[in-house]
Amino acid sequence: MSETVINFTNFYFKYLNSQLVLKNVNLAIPQGAFTVMAGPSGAGKTTLCKAMLGIVPFYYGGSYSGDIEILGENVKGKRVSDLAMRVGLMLDDYESQLVSLTAGEEVAFSLLNHGFKPQEVAERTKKALTDVGLPGRENYQLDELSGGQRQRLLLASVLAVHPEVLVLDEPVSAMDPDGAKSLYALLYKIYKEYNMTVVVVEHDINNLLPYATHMVIVDNGQIAAKGPVMDAAKVTYDNPVLRENLPRLWQIKFNLEQRFGIKLGDWRSEEEAQEELQEKFQGRISK
Amino acid sequence: MRITAFTQLILVLAVTAWVFLLPIPAVATLLALELVLLLYIKHDRMTMAAIGALTVFTGMMIVLQLLFGSSLYISLTGGLRMFVMTTAFLDLLAATKIQDIAQALVEKFHMPCEYAFMLTTALRFVPDFLADSANTLDAQSCRGYSNRGNVLKRLYAYLAVVKPLVMRAIAKSDTLALSMELKGFGANTYKNMQPQTLKSLDYIVLLLIIVLSSFPFWQKFIMK
Ligand SMILES: Nc1ncnc2c1ncn2[C@@H]1O[C@H](COP(=O)(O)OP(=O)(O)OP(=O)(O)O)[C@@H](O)[C@H]1O
Ligand SMILES: [Mg+2]
Repeated sequence: MSETVINFTNFYFKYLNSQLVLKNVNLAIPQGAFTVMAGPSGAGKTTLCKAMLGIVPFYYGGSYSGDIEILGENVKGKRVSDLAMRVGLMLDDYESQLVSLTAGEEVAFSLLNHGFKPQEVAERTKKALTDVGLPGRENYQLDELSGGQRQRLLLASVLAVHPEVLVLDEPVSAMDPDGAKSLYALLYKIYKEYNMTVVVVEHDINNLLPYATHMVIVDNGQIAAKGPVMDAAKVTYDNPVLRENLPRLWQIKFNLEQRFGIKLGDWRSEEEAQEELQEKFQGRISK
Repeated sequence: MRITAFTQLILVLAVTAWVFLLPIPAVATLLALELVLLLYIKHDRMTMAAIGALTVFTGMMIVLQLLFGSSLYISLTGGLRMFVMTTAFLDLLAATKIQDIAQALVEKFHMPCEYAFMLTTALRFVPDFLADSANTLDAQSCRGYSNRGNVLKRLYAYLAVVKPLVMRAIAKSDTLALSMELKGFGANTYKNMQPQTLKSLDYIVLLLIIVLSSFPFWQKFIMK
């Protein structure tokens, strides 16, 4: 957990025709972390995700200062498509990121472009589709898949190149709660199985309560909180404006800790909270 | 056994030449063959609708030509020729995946990969776009869009529909372009695909194409 996979140093950025969008970003994503990124709308989360592959600033243009290092290498002068082999990115509009007509072609696309042998392409395609729960769907037309399945197809196409890091920008914004839950469960399974590093932008941190190891709060282009998830949560809680971004459960936890001067556990579920509260407050709080 | 997309493309090109080179009875036979082939490959509602629309369109062409003073014979053969050419394309689209056509265009005809890729992306995004415009229209009618009133009013109201559509289309194509960049789209895209190699059946068909296409030549010099 000590090595850093993505490192921003004093990074500033503005688009061709915008104000400063990222300001003085100093951020290190440790290897093996499952990082949840949150913050108000327009804070610069998507821009930060794009910077993790050098899309910002090198694909869009605009001006920047500072440095971005990915897996120990400066992104400057690297091709975005080569970086994408090591850092997989899924943007929120997943429909527009699918470029092929069938599921198999979609997954094979990157691999073919990077010169993998047809035999290996076929094997990796099969594996990736199985990993996301779409086994044997190679020949399905895209319109034969549901929205949720298309999104998992995109995930498969990103996984097929075996990236070390996965960056997802609001992957469940168009999903119902059940769909969101199962997508994140799938993501966690993949994260565990392949020892990946994951960064997810998600405004409803509740969805990632069981999984997050680290947290980043972006506010107005700046990093307002970062680090191991509970440390960052505490910093966030201490800022009355940003407090809203935390899950209700954790707001309650910090509230209680403050009121009673106690230390409570890192609740990952309501059951956990209930258990501890019943134990600690037995008889002191009437129902 | 099937012929490759390359041979099929050549065949379609040949048919467009044949409708002018071959005698009319042969062209009519060609049409019958094409229709049998089309219905053999695919006889869903879309195919029927396409044939129907094509028939109506051809009828209109014939009538138009008559109105402009062409003779009946010329109008009818003109209509027939167009019908045969278009049906050849329908056959092509029914028989081959557009992906294979795109690959053949790049591999054998050296079309730039960007243009070839546009064929498949169009097929992928046009339905999306249509669904999008239907949704936007619905949303805007909820907010009081109506196509009544004088022309200017209607035009103005229509802009309210078009504007969000265009904005969304731009955002989507931006994402698509970025996605293609991330996935490394480029000259390699088609180069690394399993190449389409010609089989014996392809050579037989190609030979047949050469023989038929040179019909006027051997009619003139050899048959005499
Ligand atoms: N291509 C662009 N050109 C110019 N300005 C842009 C561009 N993309 C984003 N911006 C601006 O940069 C700022 C940050 O945008 P960004 O999309 O990164 O925010 P976000 O945190 O992802 O917001 P949301 O939660 O709404 O997705 C916004 O003020 C936005 O208007
Ligand atoms: Mg965003």
